[in-house]
Amino acid sequence: MAATASVRRKPSLYAAERRLALLMLAPAAILLLVFLLIPFFMAFGLSLTNQRLISPNPTEIIGLANYRELLDLRFIPLEPRLDPATNQPLRDSNGNLVYPTVREVLRANPETRFFRELAQLDFFGTRYLIAAGDATFWRALFNTFTFALIVVPLQTSFALMLAMLVNQKLPAMNFFRTVYFSPVVTTMAIVSVLWFFMYNPDFGLINSLLGLIGLGPYRWLEDPHSALFAIIILSIWQGVGFQMVIFLAGLQEIPQELYEAAQIDGAGRWQQFVNVTLPSLRNTTIFVVISTTILAFKLFVQVDVMTFGTGGPFDSTVTTILHLVNQGYRQQRVGYASAISVIFVLIVLAISILQRRVLTNQEN
Amino acid sequence: MNRKVLVLFSALALLISLFGVNGALAQSPTVVTVWFHSGQGAERDALTAILESYNASQSVYRAEATQLPEGSYNDQVNAAAVANALPCLLDFDGPNVYNYAWAGYLIPLDDYLAQEPELAADLIPSIIQQGTYQGKLWSIGTFDSGLAIWGNRKMLEAAGVRIPTSIEEAWTLEEFNAALEALRAVVPPDGYPLDLKMNYGAGEWFTYGFSPILQSFGGDLIDRSTFQSADGVINGEAAVAAMTWFQSLFKNGLTSATPKDDNVFKDGKAALSYVGHWVYPEYSAALGEDLVLIPMPKFGERAVTGMGSWNWGITSTCNVKDGAWDLLKFLLKPENVKAFAEASGAVPALKSVLEADPRYAEGGPLHIYYQQLTQGVAVPRPQTPAYPVITRAFAQAVDEIAKGGDVQAALDKAADTIDKDIAENNGYAPR
Repeated sequence: MAATASVRRKPSLYAAERRLALLMLAPAAILLLVFLLIPFFMAFGLSLTNQRLISPNPTEIIGLANYRELLDLRFIPLEPRLDPATNQPLRDSNGNLVYPTVREVLRANPETRFFRELAQLDFFGTRYLIAAGDATFWRALFNTFTFALIVVPLQTSFALMLAMLVNQKLPAMNFFRTVYFSPVVTTMAIVSVLWFFMYNPDFGLINSLLGLIGLGPYRWLEDPHSALFAIIILSIWQGVGFQMVIFLAGLQEIPQELYEAAQIDGAGRWQQFVNVTLPSLRNTTIFVVISTTILAFKLFVQVDVMTFGTGGPFDSTVTTILHLVNQGYRQQRVGYASAISVIFVLIVLAISILQRRVLTNQEN
Repeated sequence: MNRKVLVLFSALALLISLFGVNGALAQSPTVVTVWFHSGQGAERDALTAILESYNASQSVYRAEATQLPEGSYNDQVNAAAVANALPCLLDFDGPNVYNYAWAGYLIPLDDYLAQEPELAADLIPSIIQQGTYQGKLWSIGTFDSGLAIWGNRKMLEAAGVRIPTSIEEAWTLEEFNAALEALRAVVPPDGYPLDLKMNYGAGEWFTYGFSPILQSFGGDLIDRSTFQSADGVINGEAAVAAMTWFQSLFKNGLTSATPKDDNVFKDGKAALSYVGHWVYPEYSAALGEDLVLIPMPKFGERAVTGMGSWNWGITSTCNVKDGAWDLLKFLLKPENVKAFAEASGAVPALKSVLEADPRYAEGGPLHIYYQQLTQGVAVPRPQTPAYPVITRAFAQAVDEIAKGGDVQAALDKAADTIDKDIAENNGYAPR
């Protein structure tokens, strides 16, 4: 009798716990649902339409046309121009084959009417034109990945270096900690405007300093080869203080005895760093790497402010988010921008899963 | 019994509503919401003062104004339109009016203006021209703009450059080129002959300021006979010639793509400043008698300059449209048009004010603007709902060209962006 009673009570106990669990889960779950899941599905829905920001025309469902434009890449073999008289390939004064212009080739086919050139390459004697339905999108992906691949390792290492620097027991350390952290609490838009002036080729602080050691002047933001690099430097400068503080907290958690034991074992400074500091900071590093990666993929404000929203010169600084905002807001193509956002979410999701896999494998 | 109750309730409701309305009218005036871009300091102060005097002058309506930053003003208006949160009366950069009218969030002002024949007759023609789309008037500006070249008299005289004093005497392209070369010798070593205000960045300035060069050379932003295609026009021979010349200014060090700040001309580092009317108050304060206004050069057969500035429109979602018009009418009162024009250097939108203003009279410092606007030099920006896309595409091309990009490729890209947008919007057919 007692047994059955307890059996009967058990599920109700679970139910109470479950109710409590659901209750405590509710705020986060509702927020995630309202601000993440529902918008994502709405974006997916919109990406199948030609929805405009403002338009008197009715919205039409256009299937996967937005994705087709976004992802369409064509490899088009280029035929050299023929001499109408001899029917032989035309050659210029240097003896090189003469090709029709890219625009002529693309406009000849109504399907590729609005495509743009991504690259040209010679392959087994034939020249190929790589054209994209949205060349800016591919450039944006390339820039975003370049940015992340450079910024994540650099910013993480700098942050660790700074953290070790300000972790020393020297006078005025709090002053330096504050100084290195101050860019983080400054609004990115303001930082961008300041650096915009510092990068001025003729009057900027950076070229003036480089001029002292006989370098430059460089056209930082005007030259397509250096513009993204210039934005990388400013982004690291602005963001590094945040990771520094997290590393600093991690460093202060490491028990002093570990270092003492290592010293007794005859470990030098470098060996202490590799064998004590780094392993002890494992979890901190994981957090820093993941958060920096996510921030890197969200690159937008700096580029928007410093290039007046163009992502220029010549798409050299355009990023996925900037392209999304430009398409959805400034060109009013909401449906198309939704397609970009869906693809972007899938890419970031894939990277997050990959990172998780790699990190948990390490743990095992 | 039931009937009595009903009658009692009706009477009560009527009483409450009567008192309610009367009470509201007597105590709190109806609010008219207003948005405007926060322009330069003096303009902003002048407009704020005018709105305050409107509220003090009557008690039927009360203007409640919000200032928004200029840089993203158009984005914010679009966002508000999507969210159904537009104010009653708002200002916007002139050529956006066609897109707003096409999208349906403005009302035509013809009926209102017809009730004010005096005002209608007093408006200068360029204001009506710019605000008109599909045969209706959608916006009215309290001022028009002036675009020409500001010169430093001392430097021009030192370089021996002829200073034209009327549009008939405008420089030709050869003269302009020669003047720029001659001015090289008189500007300081860290200066350059021509300031193009490139520090404004890739935005409306690039289109407003530099599309007249395109037009003077014989090109344009779009084929204006149909407004259906830019191909062959914005990237046609004349346009490419215009922008190749434009690029040569940068390549030859006659101007800078990266000015130090906004004060290059005021500080005497540039001999000429190619910019609109809005710098007049600060330039005349800095240079005094040495400031001269030089008409737009004839790059090709004729000189072309821009027209149009910020305009006011009434939204279709406004529920006190009469109030919005009442306020707009107040803004267009001669004394207010005058006050605003004096603060900003802009061309007053009323003939009566313009003709009484000694600055615009023969021999006045701004007479060139008057000539350009009234004698066919000024051309409106393309009157099509595609304008927001046209201006972005062209501004981006100007940015790339100034930074040394291939002129034909940059303009081809702009042509494709515009044509694609027009195709996607079914030719922007009127509703």
